[in-house]
Amino acid sequence: MNGYGGTTLRVNLTTGQITKQPTPPELARDFIGGRGFGAYYLFKEVPKDADPLGSENKLIISTGPFSGLMIPGGGKCDWTTKSPLTGGYADASMGGHFTAELKYAGIDTIILEGVSPKPVYLFIDDDKIQLLDASEMWGKGAFEIENHFKHKYGEEYQVAVIGPGGENMVMYACINHDYGRQAGRGGVGAVMGSKKLKAIVLHGTKAVPVADLEGYRNAGMALYKACKDAEGLAEWTRYGTTIVTSWCDEVGALPTRNFQAGSFEDGKGIYGQTMRKEIVITDKGCFGCPCPCGKYSHMKRYSTQVEGPEYETIGLFGSNLGIGDIQAVAEANRLCDDLGIDTISAGVCIGWAMEAYEKGILTKADTDGLDLKFGNIEATFAAVKKISYCKGKLGALLAQGVRRAAKQVGKGSEKFAIEVKGMEQSSYATHNATAMLLAYMTCDVGAHHNRSWAITYDLQVGRDKVVPEKVARIIWLQNFRPMFDVLGACRLQWVELGINRDLYVPALEAITGLHRTWEDLEAVGNRIWNITRMYWFREIEGFGREWDMPAQRFYTEPPKTGATAGQITKYEDVVRLLDMYYEQRGWDANGLPTTATLEKLGITSLVA
Amino acid sequence: MTTIVRPFGILKSYIDNQPERIVEPGRTVRQTMIDLHIPPEVVALVTVNDEQETKDYIIREGDLVKLIAVVGGG
Repeated sequence: MNGYGGTTLRVNLTTGQITKQPTPPELARDFIGGRGFGAYYLFKEVPKDADPLGSENKLIISTGPFSGLMIPGGGKCDWTTKSPLTGGYADASMGGHFTAELKYAGIDTIILEGVSPKPVYLFIDDDKIQLLDASEMWGKGAFEIENHFKHKYGEEYQVAVIGPGGENMVMYACINHDYGRQAGRGGVGAVMGSKKLKAIVLHGTKAVPVADLEGYRNAGMALYKACKDAEGLAEWTRYGTTIVTSWCDEVGALPTRNFQAGSFEDGKGIYGQTMRKEIVITDKGCFGCPCPCGKYSHMKRYSTQVEGPEYETIGLFGSNLGIGDIQAVAEANRLCDDLGIDTISAGVCIGWAMEAYEKGILTKADTDGLDLKFGNIEATFAAVKKISYCKGKLGALLAQGVRRAAKQVGKGSEKFAIEVKGMEQSSYATHNATAMLLAYMTCDVGAHHNRSWAITYDLQVGRDKVVPEKVARIIWLQNFRPMFDVLGACRLQWVELGINRDLYVPALEAITGLHRTWEDLEAVGNRIWNITRMYWFREIEGFGREWDMPAQRFYTEPPKTGATAGQITKYEDVVRLLDMYYEQRGWDANGLPTTATLEKLGITSLVA
Repeated sequence: MTTIVRPFGILKSYIDNQPERIVEPGRTVRQTMIDLHIPPEVVALVTVNDEQETKDYIIREGDLVKLIAVVGGG
């Protein structure tokens, strides 16, 4: 099958049985790959009401037709599962070099099932596939284990590994790879930990068949040329995602002190310019990437190094915690990566705890003696460690995620738990950016920005405007942007360099032999979106409109300072946004896709 | 010596899709953007002679000012 490795690998960790099956051609036709495969298998194979951390849940790693090929950023795979953090659908996209090696081993998808009786790692070397003992590695950090495997097997072997956070099933534990890339969100690392799978180590040498070699070469080169010719390439490469930090501060989108404001008085200390000057050593790219956004950094004060921090981490461990110190942010990033927890969720959880502490809702008796005030760097590091080991009262509280933590503590702290569907909001304050607010409300994993991002659009159209065009824009982005996760390529070349998306069409045709327009691809995106929506309804009793509501702060508490001081989205506008969104999606008033919508999309039998 | 403002990507739409504009020195980047009808808040990054500057930088004779927007977030 052109564009695919051809094999779906099932690994039953309970029995140790490993089986290979051909990747179904009709699955490739209808869902293409990546997140499409993940959503399909999750819905089809994981039984209703499965415990996310039990043997019935599965962890699905899936590539797409661009994965491992000469397409800019063609090094992406998706990790899909039932989320322990939210109880609903989760997928996490991961870059680096793991995906290409997986494809070269001839594998499109790995489906991890069951629970191993003891810690193991999965070793794949082309057709040699084994589960091997990892008892000695349990409890160790992600960096040490990746180093261990690189020395044991060689630099060309790629490693995906969990840290203690995953082992201890922190609800937002991540999976680390390449010393600085993560499958970060939704607790995929906790699921891997629940299966007692410490790592996957792999290497492949097989070719990936393509339908039209000459056409593929030409289309691939056209994409690379577009990246190289892009006007913003030098600036983008210089700063990576941190290019937006100062801008977010300026427009009031930089989360500050648990999203109490969107501008930070010490913002300069964490801007991309400061980071580049103070800590960056060099740039680092993923497989096949012509615009490396990763940055290797050295933190002199701590004598440590990290890949990062990215903007999201800067926002949530910097301004969100009242820390205007790039070295401290980078060190917190390093701790999270090594211990294996998602920096976004961790930053939001600690920010919530700091606000609760300053308001007297939490005391030193609850924080294990930590003086958890905004700006306290040492307390932040200590909190990260406590969370990763679920240690002490504070660690056990925050390891659950902010929604459960706030519910446990109560006393009004739910009002400043910044999450949607139980997932902590990523690093854009949305007090007065209605399209972006809707993007967070309706994202199919929880409050994450990757499906649709619209702050520039908000500024262009009018940030407080609530009009059908904004809703249509969000729906279009939600159908379109995740298709990069389906195809197995990074979206940042389109997102940040602005290359023409039509250049991907001939590449896909040359690789797979199937002609698909972007309209065809968006239709696939829409189908997947409705499957994931139905998954939430299937798994969560009472799921519906209430689960799409944003954090209360964004419609009840205008910031007192900064660019958005005094500004807020009205509650009635939040309701209107949802009304319009449901109508345009073809969903009912509670957000359930109608029978007619499911029939039109051809997914009635799958989601029945 | 000529002083040039060069907006990238979608920002070109504010100057009739032209690649660049010649401007008078002595005004801040922010004032110059307003003169050119480019909303300052949609510009994420300003570089002057390839070094990052703030929007309050006063443009000098011979400067090359590049304006970069955030296209679509991370």
